[in-house]
Amino acid sequence: MIQTKNLTRTFKNGDVVTEVLKGIDFAARDGEFVSIMGRSGAGKSTLLYQLSLLDDPTSGELIIDGHEAHSMTPDEKMQFRLVKFGYVFQDYALLPELTALENVALPLLMQGKGKREAYKISQEALTRAGLGKRLGNLSSQLSGGEQQRVAIVRAIAHRPKVLFADEPTANLDNESSKVIMDIFLELHREGQTIIMVTHEQPYAKLADRIVHLDDGKIVSTTGNTK
Amino acid sequence: MSWSFRGSDMFSALNIKIGFYLALRQIRRASPWTTSLIIFVMILTFLNLVVVSGILVGLIQGSIDQVRTKYTSDVIVSTLNDKAYIENSPNIIALIKSMPEVQAISPRYRESGSLEANYKTRKDTDKPNTAPGQVAGIDPKEENSVTGIANDIVEGSFLEEGDYDQVLLGHYLLKQYVPIETPAFSTLNNVGIGTKIRLKVGDVTREVTVKGIIKSKVDEIALRTFMLDTQFRSMIGRTDGNVSEIAIKLKPGEDPVAVRDSLKRSGVDRYAKVQTYEDAQPKFLQDIVATFNMLGNAFSSIGLVVASITIFIVIFINALTRRKYIGILKGIGIDGKAIEMSYVFQSVFYALFGSAIGLFLVYGFLVPAFAAHPIDFPFSDGILVAPPDQTFFRVGLLVIATLVAGYIPAWMIIRKNTLDSILGRN
Repeated sequence: MIQTKNLTRTFKNGDVVTEVLKGIDFAARDGEFVSIMGRSGAGKSTLLYQLSLLDDPTSGELIIDGHEAHSMTPDEKMQFRLVKFGYVFQDYALLPELTALENVALPLLMQGKGKREAYKISQEALTRAGLGKRLGNLSSQLSGGEQQRVAIVRAIAHRPKVLFADEPTANLDNESSKVIMDIFLELHREGQTIIMVTHEQPYAKLADRIVHLDDGKIVSTTGNTK
Repeated sequence: MSWSFRGSDMFSALNIKIGFYLALRQIRRASPWTTSLIIFVMILTFLNLVVVSGILVGLIQGSIDQVRTKYTSDVIVSTLNDKAYIENSPNIIALIKSMPEVQAISPRYRESGSLEANYKTRKDTDKPNTAPGQVAGIDPKEENSVTGIANDIVEGSFLEEGDYDQVLLGHYLLKQYVPIETPAFSTLNNVGIGTKIRLKVGDVTREVTVKGIIKSKVDEIALRTFMLDTQFRSMIGRTDGNVSEIAIKLKPGEDPVAVRDSLKRSGVDRYAKVQTYEDAQPKFLQDIVATFNMLGNAFSSIGLVVASITIFIVIFINALTRRKYIGILKGIGIDGKAIEMSYVFQSVFYALFGSAIGLFLVYGFLVPAFAAHPIDFPFSDGILVAPPDQTFFRVGLLVIATLVAGYIPAWMIIRKNTLDSILGRN
């Protein structure tokens, strides 16, 4: 379970102070699929970065499965991200010098798995995602939809506790977006906790719950709208 | 949810493994032109490190080698400072010849003398055409077996047994070879093969014929007049067989120091100076070698700094342009230290690859090429001196400099905030 208590995030630029998150109380249960929506500048991506330990809150508490994440050291957060979290970025974020197989295998190797095992897991996962014939392709040799599928496989190959997705369909056409969301739904059916930021209502509605943000605050939560 | 934190160490096996994994793929998939350019810079740096000082030292080393080959050979036994010749020479020569390490020896007689040309045509008002110099009496066969100076004859021919009143002249004694006029350095004019000249040693003057001219960059050869030892002995009136110096050539692989020490233990040093070719080197030559080494190192250091800056810039730009991906790597949990290792590996790869090609060029091409075609300097045949131990020390220096130059920019970029890197924020 991920929970925040009175979480704030403030940015300073010279004398200008911008309060992006203003006391967020949020919780996501294990196995839950939560969409975070809001207009531009509402703070939805910033909230995702706090939840996923990519950024540090200015104040408040972040508790992940009983661990006080807000007081972890950078190395502890790094280790937590590696083992317990998976990330899908808006622009795929595949490493250009690595093939699809190597992109997926890298976090597994970092977890200490042997190359043979890491490659076997990655190959099976990519094949399941319909990319069995693209294992040796560099990201530049893949379409946008294929790149995002590789990114999802990379994010889930190590079976993370929570999958974070930041507008995963923003750069994709409708057909590719649908494929990506189908994968998310299948993962959710298998019990994967997913927290997704999106500005696309139809995809947000696929989640168990939609959290609406505006001006750094949660303004509403709608559940079971599927 | 069970979770335990594993501490991170830059040199942990995992970070090294991941760093190598990333570096290998970055190098393999980098632009071949960029990689080639960086390696080219490394090759030039390596050559700058090794060749510049190697040639500077080689100028003197060439001279030292020539003195060894053409004059002292491996060990030289010479007259004590307060004596006119080596007393007990016949016994010493017999002792040296009996040593198993010795391949050949050349006993030489040596006295100061002077040469005069144009004495037949000179008018009373004309200045005498003279040149001073050492005169050496040699056994041509023995001398040639030690120094091979017969190969240095550029005009005429080498001495043979029975060459009565015939001499070889070092080329520094002849004006056509040294066309300079200084009061301190007089040469013979219009003297060539077959010319009759006057040779004066002590009170004895003899008319001799020039049989050959020896060209050498060793002063002891180039300024000498050579004649048969039997002829010379009669000129200086020495009948006791006592010589002035004995050049000793050892069999391949024999240690000159061991032979020198053995001769000293036998008591030869009571009658003569016993020196290896290194002992016999003038101190100023050793000083020049040290100075040139220092100069070479200074030039090399500049090259090293340039290479370090090049690698720094290359890695900095690489890391800067890849900042987003570095952020993503950190974001998905790849240890920053593993990423730093990947840049260290890349830098080391460039240095090692450049050095490997440089080593091939130096030992496979440049050293043999310089040995076959030395640089023709007035005082020596300049070779390229690149002792493997010093070369590998310089490879080590280059690798360490590049390693540091690669690590610093990577560290600068990697330590930036992960999210800022991903989002491209400053």
